[in-house]
Parts: sequence; structure tokens; C-alpha cells
Amino acid sequence: MAILEIKNAELSIDNKKILKGLSLNVNEGETHAIMGPNGSGKSTLSYMLAGRDGYELDNGSITFDNIDLTPLSPDERSNLGLFLAFQYPVELPGVSSTNFLREIFNSRKKYLGENELSHLDFIKFLRKVAEDLSIKDEMLKRYVNFGFSGGEKKRFEILQMALLNPKISVLDETDSGLDVDALKIVSEGVNNLKDKKNAVVVITHYQRLLDYIKPDIVHIMSDGKIIKSGDADLALYIEKNGYSEILNEKS
Amino acid sequence: MKKVRNDQFFSNLEKFVNKVYPNQPQRRPYLNLKSWPSPKDEAWKFSRLGNLARKNILPFDFENQQDFNINKLIKDSISLVFVNGKFEKKLSDKLLSEIVIEEVQIEDFKEIINKFDNLSVKNHPTLNSTLSCSEKFFKIKFKNDIKFYKPIEIFNLGGTENTSIHPFIFIDLDKDTDVQIFQHYSTYAGLLAPFEIINLSENSNLEIIKIYDDKINSHNLSLTLSVIKEEANLRSFALIKGGEFTRSEMHTLLEGENSNADINGIYLSSGNQHHDLTSCVYHNVPNCKSSQIVKGVLGEESTAVFQGKVRVEKLAQKTEAKQMSRAIMLSDKAVSNSKPELEIYADDVICGHGATVGELDEDQIFYLSSRGISKQKAKVILIDAFLNEMISLSISDKFHDIIYNKTKTKINKLLTNEYE
Repeated sequence: MAILEIKNAELSIDNKKILKGLSLNVNEGETHAIMGPNGSGKSTLSYMLAGRDGYELDNGSITFDNIDLTPLSPDERSNLGLFLAFQYPVELPGVSSTNFLREIFNSRKKYLGENELSHLDFIKFLRKVAEDLSIKDEMLKRYVNFGFSGGEKKRFEILQMALLNPKISVLDETDSGLDVDALKIVSEGVNNLKDKKNAVVVITHYQRLLDYIKPDIVHIMSDGKIIKSGDADLALYIEKNGYSEILNEKS
Repeated sequence: MKKVRNDQFFSNLEKFVNKVYPNQPQRRPYLNLKSWPSPKDEAWKFSRLGNLARKNILPFDFENQQDFNINKLIKDSISLVFVNGKFEKKLSDKLLSEIVIEEVQIEDFKEIINKFDNLSVKNHPTLNSTLSCSEKFFKIKFKNDIKFYKPIEIFNLGGTENTSIHPFIFIDLDKDTDVQIFQHYSTYAGLLAPFEIINLSENSNLEIIKIYDDKINSHNLSLTLSVIKEEANLRSFALIKGGEFTRSEMHTLLEGENSNADINGIYLSSGNQHHDLTSCVYHNVPNCKSSQIVKGVLGEESTAVFQGKVRVEKLAQKTEAKQMSRAIMLSDKAVSNSKPELEIYADDVICGHGATVGELDEDQIFYLSSRGISKQKAKVILIDAFLNEMISLSISDKFHDIIYNKTKTKINKLLTNEYE
């Protein structure tokens, strides 16, 4: 069953067309990879999905579990079960990581009509999830993303994903700035959360991440559209031959 | 209606002093100030007193008939209550022998005032009006044979829209004492002119937290002069949220080596409020530190000013002075002014200053909302974080929540009005 359906999405920023008729269907249980050269509109796609101000569609539609996403605010989309792991997670000086995590965890629970956890139960639960991602207690005592290393920031994104238990996660360049060890931890984290009911969309430049998070379907994005889709072998082909051949083929 | 002359208050004041204190010549020199500071006066350029000048205000001259509830912030604190500028023994906690409150004369603290060789002090309307018309001058003395002092809470209450009230207090710490004082300004006065003098002897520590929360028609022109001796520490924090116009002006003289002064503050401004934190720190001797750090949140059509001055005399080598002002604007009609001034005559010093003014960060709001937090809640979280950092930095941990809670209602009000 389709979780996410994007049809002919068109979007411009400062009167410049960035997405030019993008379509994408993601079904339950699937992992998709979106690859493409710089400037093809990959990050715009992720902001558009999350509902950032200024990233409203000119034309086309997005539905999530058959609900029209376009009129919904970022928090409403998150509550429905859409998660964006940021390429550049934002620092929140003065906001304690633990309080922040408890706030987002409980607001999702509330939305789902489930019981919120007491402070103590939450801390126990958080410790366990954090441990799986090699996140130390000390890091949780700091302000959100403030002074975190590149790897710490990405692990903290996956920690939030684990707490929110979304139906679809969009990982925007989660591999950028990660060394091989951190890449493994982050990928394992994502793979552990994957099940038959949810879906993952990985946005990446490089094939490297896809060695760890195996995609079912790979899409090549260029100039605001998906120009080619295939299985995991397509990513390997890109790794070997670069984008130019496919791009030339299309033009 | 009869037009009020710009200097009406000062002639009212003179008549009052002539009538009530005919035989007290020591008050007369302070009647020489005949008018309000004008906008041409550099010290008052951003804080104009036109609205105050147009009010026909008389010094408060009745017996107090009102009842007051004293809402202490700290359960076991000792309260000292000033109603209409007068010390009310009946409303205050019973004073144990540990605190001495005594009446003093202008002569007893004149020497301290004279150390501030600065025109904005000498011509300050609060200094002049309060010394000319305050009924009594009180000194609280903290003696060093007492091991432990409970926190003191000083309440300034009373006033009416057409009267001025003039509390005076001289806070005097002996060597090696450690004292915490809360000052509450919660009056209805057209003009509240509190004048405070602080003397910190060698190796004494004073933490003073001032909460400015006068009623909406009030002008509060608070003036504090502090003198700090060797190894002594002044930790001052002002929370400004009330009144039509509130200016917290502090002049701090570091005259003993290895002394320290933190003159920090937060203002939360809504409606047409005007809030002003003015601070001058004078480094007269080597090896002292000071900080003047101010944060503010402004909504609607409010205005705010931070004027921070640091003067480092030639002798005052190895001075470390820090100055910083940050304001968050919730409305494009609000105005924030920042005027840092460094006057440095020594060559081996570390002095830093900076100022930022901006809206809440859109990236931060988006990040929080992408995690399921509403935009409104996200703003509350970000403002809380902005203020929490400041509160943690400025005051003792044990008072953190008390002060944080004092900001809460005002923040909610600022954000609710933004959405109307």
C-alpha cells in the first residue's frame, strides 16, 4: 500500500523553478534511494515534504496515507508520521537535549492517543535507544546539536527518528560528513527501525551509504525531475560511470 | 485643562520641601535641579521623559490607608516593606539582631556620592528629588560577626498615578559578609524614584536581584551607586517587565583590587512600554573584572535601550571587562537601541563588546516544528532557552526557577499578542 504519493510536483523559489514535475510513489516496507548531482533539487524535495515555509507547491499533489499533505504545517506532518533527518541539523543553544527529546516523544505519543511516559520511564527508554546508537549520557546533557561533531549530529537525528517511530523517514544526505565507523552506526540504526509497515527514502550523492542501507528502488534525479528509476544495480552503475551518461541519454 | 509646564514637578517638589522640611538646609542643594533631562542630554537621548514631564505629579504626602499583601518569593526570607517610599515596620518581618536598620543623614553617605564624578549622576532626577524629599534615609548594615544571613526581600509598594514616591536605602556590607537581596518594585506611582547606595567592604559578596514590575502607568527611574572594595563581589541582576517607562541605572565603582561586578539584566517589553538598562562600570584599580550582559524580548510597539559604559583608568591594568547585548524582536514595530561605550586609558586590558538584534531564527523554528512541535510552542521553547541561558549565567542556581517563573507570564503575553 502506498504511504507517499507525489504527483507532478512543481515548485519554485524566488521565481525560479526548482521542481519541474516530480513524481514518486513509496509503498509500505520499501526503501528508496534518490541520487543526483548537485543542484538537481534533492534538498528542495526534502523541505517540500516536511512543509517548510516558502516550499509550497505551484502544481501537483502530495498525499500521505491518502491525506493531502499540502495544507498541513510541519508539526502536523510530523505527527502524521513523516520524519526528515536534516542534512544540517540545527543547533538550539539553551535547549537541553533530554528535555527536547522528551517533549517530541510525548507530543507524538499524545497524537497517537498513547500514554505519555513518566520522566523516569522516559529516561530509561531513552538510555536504551541512545546506547544502540553509541550516544553517551554526557551528550544528552548538552544543548541540542550545540557543539556536536558532524557524526554526533547525525546520530542525534537517528535517535529522534527512533523515538518518533515515523511511518516514513526521509534521510537528507545523512552520510555527508561521516567517517566509516559513524556511517555503520547510523545505518544500523536506520536498518533496525525498518519494518514491513514503514518506509525510508534516502537522499544521497554517493553510493557509499547504500552499501549499508540497501535500497529496493533507486531513482536518479536531475533538473527537478526523476529521470530514471531502477534497482540497486543502478546505484552501482552511477558509482562506476558517474551521472553524465544517464543525463546525456535523456537530453 | 490647564497645560502642565515641563518643570511643574520640580516646582511642586520645592513647595513640598519648603513646607515639610523648612529647617533642613542639607536638603536644599538637591532642589537646584529645575527640569527633566532633555533629549539633547546624551544620557537620556534614547529614553525621553516627555510623557512624565506632561504629568502633574506631586510628592506623596498622605498617611497610608491601604492594606498590602506581601508575596514573598522565598519562604524563609526577611521582608522589609516600603510603602509610598516609607519604611513600614508593621508590614515588615520582625528584625532579629542580625540586621541593623538605622536612620542616617545625607552627610553619612555624601562621601560615597561624591566619588561619582559624573554629570549624569549629579544631575540625575532621582538622586536630586529623593535626597530633597525622602522622609527618612535608612541604612541596612550587615555585620561580619553574623555567620549566615537569610535572603532579604525589599518590597516597594503603594503610590498613586499622580504622585511620586521616593524610597532610599543604603546597603552596607561589612568585611567577609555574604548577602542576597531581592528588590521588588511593584507600585502604582506616577513616578517611582528609588535611590540606592551599596557599599561592599573587603571580601564581601552581594547578590542583588531587582524585579521591576510596576503598574502600567508608572515611570520608574531607579538609580543605584555601588562602591566595591578589595576582593569583593557584586552580582546584580535586573528583570524589567513592568511600568510604562522603567530605567534601571547603575553606576559601579571598582576601587579595590581583585574585585568583580556583574551588572546583568533581562527586559521583556510589550505594548507601548519603554525599558532601559543603563550601566556604567568604573575600573579605577588593576586586576578587576566586570560584565554587563543584557538580553531582551520586545513585542508590539515597545522600545528598549541598553547603554553600557566601561571606563578603565590608566592605573587599572589587567582589567577584564565584558559587554554584550542581545535582543529578540517579535514585532517589526518594536525598537531596540544599544549604545556600548568603552573608555580605556590602560594598555593591558581585555575588553569585549557586542550587540545583536534579530527575530527568532526561522531555521530553529522549522527544526522544532518538523519534530511535531507547534510553531507557537517552538517560539516559547526558543525564548525560554534564550532567557534560561542568561538566568543561569547571572544568578545563583537556587534562585533560577523563581526568576524563570517570573518571566513566564510575560512571555506568554508577548506571544499571545503577537498572534492577535
